Amino acid sequence: MANGICIFAENYNGKLEPASAELVSAARLIQETTKEEISAIVAAKDCDTVVEELKGLGVEKIYVVKTSRDILLQDDAASEVIAEMLRKIDPSSVLIPATPTGRSIFSRVAMKLNCGLTADCTELLVGTREDGSYYIKQNKPSFGENVFVTIITREGYYPQMMTVRPGVYTAPEASSENSAEVVYMDDIAVPDSQIEVVEVLPTEDTTDSILSSEIVVVGGRGVLEDDNFALVKEFADKIGAAIGGTRPMVDTETIPFEHQIGQTGCTIRPKICISLGVSGAIQHTEGIKDTKLFVAVNTDPNAAIFKVADYGMTADLRAVLENYLKL
Amino acid sequence: MDIAVLIKQVPVSNNVSVDPETHALIRASAEGMINPADLNAIEEAMVLKEQTGGKVVVFTMGPPDAEKALREAMAHGCDESCLITDRAVAGGDTIATAKVLAEAIKKYGKFDLILSGALSADGATGQVGAMVAECLGIPHVAEIQSIQYDEAVPDKIDAVKKVYGERFHVRCALPAVLSVNFGSNVPRLATLRSTRAAKNKPLATYTNADLKLPADQVGIPGSPTAVIDSFEPTGGRMAEMLEGTPEELAVKLKNMIDEEKGKL
Repeated sequence: MANGICIFAENYNGKLEPASAELVSAARLIQETTKEEISAIVAAKDCDTVVEELKGLGVEKIYVVKTSRDILLQDDAASEVIAEMLRKIDPSSVLIPATPTGRSIFSRVAMKLNCGLTADCTELLVGTREDGSYYIKQNKPSFGENVFVTIITREGYYPQMMTVRPGVYTAPEASSENSAEVVYMDDIAVPDSQIEVVEVLPTEDTTDSILSSEIVVVGGRGVLEDDNFALVKEFADKIGAAIGGTRPMVDTETIPFEHQIGQTGCTIRPKICISLGVSGAIQHTEGIKDTKLFVAVNTDPNAAIFKVADYGMTADLRAVLENYLKL
Repeated sequence: MDIAVLIKQVPVSNNVSVDPETHALIRASAEGMINPADLNAIEEAMVLKEQTGGKVVVFTMGPPDAEKALREAMAHGCDESCLITDRAVAGGDTIATAKVLAEAIKKYGKFDLILSGALSADGATGQVGAMVAECLGIPHVAEIQSIQYDEAVPDKIDAVKKVYGERFHVRCALPAVLSVNFGSNVPRLATLRSTRAAKNKPLATYTNADLKLPADQVGIPGSPTAVIDSFEPTGGRMAEMLEGTPEELAVKLKNMIDEEKGKL
């Protein structure tokens, strides 16, 4: 019988990715009801530090395949190894960070195990079937504005696999007093890959400014009207902010794709966020985290953005900005 | 090089709701458009075709009116198209959908490369391309920024993938599946002439009678996952609304920004 909650320990350069540490907290909430063991799986060449980090986070067991070569971006080989690990571990659920690596590898794993993969969950809850067995309710935002759906992995399909959006759960405090059993699965061979990393190219990242900026002005559809963008730019310059935007801003090439904020763009963590003419579709608002001051200006008093901002102004952004620039 | 491109129709508007009984999508308008990232995949296919020759075949699974999306893709330059439409395959999750697409590709012919958009504007699971690759037993590279093909290395394809804040140049053996990021290139526009020409380009229609997949492998019965509920997010959180004339609001905004900036 499938049992246990397993988290995928995504790592890069020998370090655990923060999104994987967050999964430990999600697993603990499930464990409160199901009492299952929490384990982690690691498949990497350079995994000693990752194993120590996982121990500190308080997982109970760590399954490790120490690969003889670096399998970074070799998703064909990595998925084979991980599928084999899961066949042996036989967990009831697998939690995966909803990152490019997580969804890429586990799409293949899900097909190999024919078990399904729910994408981008923002909340995991435990449900109980009539026979007393547990299942995970996988909540996620869906299509369009402010609709959530609950997805389940149908009875009989195991493991229940889901990717969890980074930033939804907070990683537990690491403690050196925690310990875990480490199981090396040395009998799992790493197959050849059809993919090789030729080189790491120099970065030419234009997203840096928006990702590292402590002050961000975000524009939406409202900015596209009447030359408002010039005004927004002037305002951003005045307060020393980077400019990000929503889909319509990118579609019209008002801002580069790298500056799209939200589900298909980037996630920003500025201290100050001023949102102008943004309706507040969930795909967008999910991309703004941990602000200290979040002010939204929109002419529509019912705009969804007011549900996520700290302060709201039902006003024409043009009128407010013109006055601001005079101050 | 013969290339298959997988596309998806997505709602034009984000204003969709979910039927509380069936949890099926209710679209504000029946209008659909090609998922934006898929246009970037088509563009990559066009560039490769110009370089290497061969043909580009565009695939989609959907209701009969998804033909519109295929005609549009052919107006963007794709040579042929294939529509998989059958109630039996409708409503499937990513696993069930990928099985159908993979089978249709196999039935249609041999391809050197399969491209798709990286993430859809609606579901945004980013899974189907990789799953199709797994079904076909070929490698994939997901969420790539650009593609390069070197005739001197004819059995491989190069791509740039951005992840972990780095840009990786990867090389992948063909045949392969690559999923192309939204915004990674500027798709060529369809012209009046190309739109007219697209009306006469070949469109094959497959049902599951052609693909012969077991009924329990496709559509809702073939889906390991199911949507069981839909709801509006709870938490009546609301911003503190500030009142005043634009002049007064500007002053309030400035005070708040200045105060917070003082703490940076």
